[in-house]
Amino acid sequence: MRVFKNFRQAIRGLTLNRSNTLLMTIGVMIGIASLTVIVSIGFGIKVKVLDRIANMGFGPESFSVMAGAGKMFFSRSKNTTSMSLQDAEDLLALPTVRLVVPRQRKRMQIINKKEFTNTRVYGVTPDWQRARGWHVADGVFLSDSDLDRKRKVVVLGATPVRKLFKNADPIGKMVRLQNNFYEVIGLLQEKGLTESGYDPDDRALIPLTTSMARLTRERHLHSIKVVTLDASQVPKTMEAVKHVLRRNHSLSILSEDDFRFVTPEGIMEWVTESAQAMNRMLILISTVSLLVGGVVIMNILLVSIRERVREIGIRRCFGARKSDITLQFLFESVLISLLGGILGIGLGLIISFGLQRFDIIPTQVTWEPFMLSFVFCTLIGLVFGIHPARKAALMNPEEAIRS
Amino acid sequence: MSLLEMNSICKSYRNIDFETQVLKDITLHINEGDYISIIGPSGSGKSTLMAIAGCLSKPTSGEYILDGEEVDKLSDRKLSRVRNEKIGFVFQAFHLLPGVTALDNVTLPLVYSRNPPSDIKERAREVLAKVGLEHRLHHTPGQLSGGEQQRVTIARSLINNPPIIFADEPTGNLDSKNGIETMKTFDKLVKEGKTIVLITHDSEVAEHADRIISILDGEIASDTKRQPSNLPEKL
Repeated sequence: MRVFKNFRQAIRGLTLNRSNTLLMTIGVMIGIASLTVIVSIGFGIKVKVLDRIANMGFGPESFSVMAGAGKMFFSRSKNTTSMSLQDAEDLLALPTVRLVVPRQRKRMQIINKKEFTNTRVYGVTPDWQRARGWHVADGVFLSDSDLDRKRKVVVLGATPVRKLFKNADPIGKMVRLQNNFYEVIGLLQEKGLTESGYDPDDRALIPLTTSMARLTRERHLHSIKVVTLDASQVPKTMEAVKHVLRRNHSLSILSEDDFRFVTPEGIMEWVTESAQAMNRMLILISTVSLLVGGVVIMNILLVSIRERVREIGIRRCFGARKSDITLQFLFESVLISLLGGILGIGLGLIISFGLQRFDIIPTQVTWEPFMLSFVFCTLIGLVFGIHPARKAALMNPEEAIRS
Repeated sequence: MSLLEMNSICKSYRNIDFETQVLKDITLHINEGDYISIIGPSGSGKSTLMAIAGCLSKPTSGEYILDGEEVDKLSDRKLSRVRNEKIGFVFQAFHLLPGVTALDNVTLPLVYSRNPPSDIKERAREVLAKVGLEHRLHHTPGQLSGGEQQRVTIARSLINNPPIIFADEPTGNLDSKNGIETMKTFDKLVKEGKTIVLITHDSEVAEHADRIISILDGEIASDTKRQPSNLPEKL
């Protein structure tokens, strides 16, 4: 009952000291909003990366070899030119290898008359569709003869088709890449946008030989995808691949690999590792911003108590115990930080949705920030409220009333 | 038995290198229903005496018994209860909570009461009516005149029905008309059996009381009783 009364006095105190209440609320609100945004960005990126991996077309029995030393998707040397078609042929000759898909990749403009769009253009071999398990919905896929003759033909994903042809049938039409016209011979099945906003349909496939001769004008490959007979063969095959490539590229024992492996497990490991590192950083940033919020509360409460000395004196004169004053001010600080927390979550959600909506950063709203904020706000209110509250309670009532 | 009993009360404030003795060996007995003025120039120690009598600070030495309780030995918790149940305060500067309605200001002592009545609002209306403010229940101090504010504080001091009321320069911030009104309210309360202690430096105000105690340099200089027969003429 007494607690409840002090609670009501705290609410009255907050409504009477509006500007202080507002400042303290803003202090916590910013902290909690940044916590909410940071956590949802963290989850968003994680989801996006996991999603991307799922859509890279990796089965457990396959892996990729990328040109250039480094780790995963980050090459340390930009222009590694050592990987050749010969490498791909040698890898296919390994006993545990079922398929290889040598590949070149370039992002560029694709044009149909007045319509144009940017898309990822891949130079691949006919084995691509077997390795990916992804087939044409209409028309035909690239053939061996297309490759041999370096024909200017293209298989389009659903996204560029929609942008370039609207509702017209694209088969047999010509599209332009740089200064050459390519005949559209096939359309890939549509996969649809993934949850994180990655669009697997945003691609165009041309024969690897055509790509080498006309598009990239490079003899080397950007990557080779290797499909083994079954998942248990992967480690052994990777060893063999490494051996073949080092021999073909005539690397000495001392020099490091000029290629790198990308495997499903490797990606998972890499994601987990970077997610952990990121989480640590996020926790640090959030803690700092919440501490700042707490210090704001404490400071303003201390100032507010100086302004409210007389009120405290009056309350003490009419029978408030020290514990009543302590409770009132503790309630005030906890209420403030909870209010700031609620508003902060609201603001954070708006920012998160905005970031997602306008494609700035992927975000994913989860329940964690709500729980975290609730717990943190109560803690902050208590921890940073106790000092001002005690200070108010320990004031000498005689002096307080005279101030 | 006296309602208020002070025996050899001393109070000194200690600075770093010297000690100031504000009250020196004050012995004072007040009975129920007394109407008392404590008069003295500023710095005489009367405010300190009121702070000790009002349980807002503790004496350095001496014994203080209020309504049968040895107040000088009580903990803060129990002192708070004594202030809540046995004492009503009226201040020179009113000391109302700003921005809070008259009604809510008056109920403040009940917030900290051990067993508050169920009809808090009703009680508050009653005491406000007693001081003639039944038409100002929902006004905040800023919307009230000085005289009205002082009457709100008197209503506040009455709501818990304490046996003794301390009034510290109750007319100090008021014009003469409102001052007279306020003093009339006190006179009326004494007639109803309240014990009232006025602390003032104004001899005209002090004249209202039946007993005038004058303090000088921390000591009781004089303690004179008026014949009760004089009282009706004053009103």
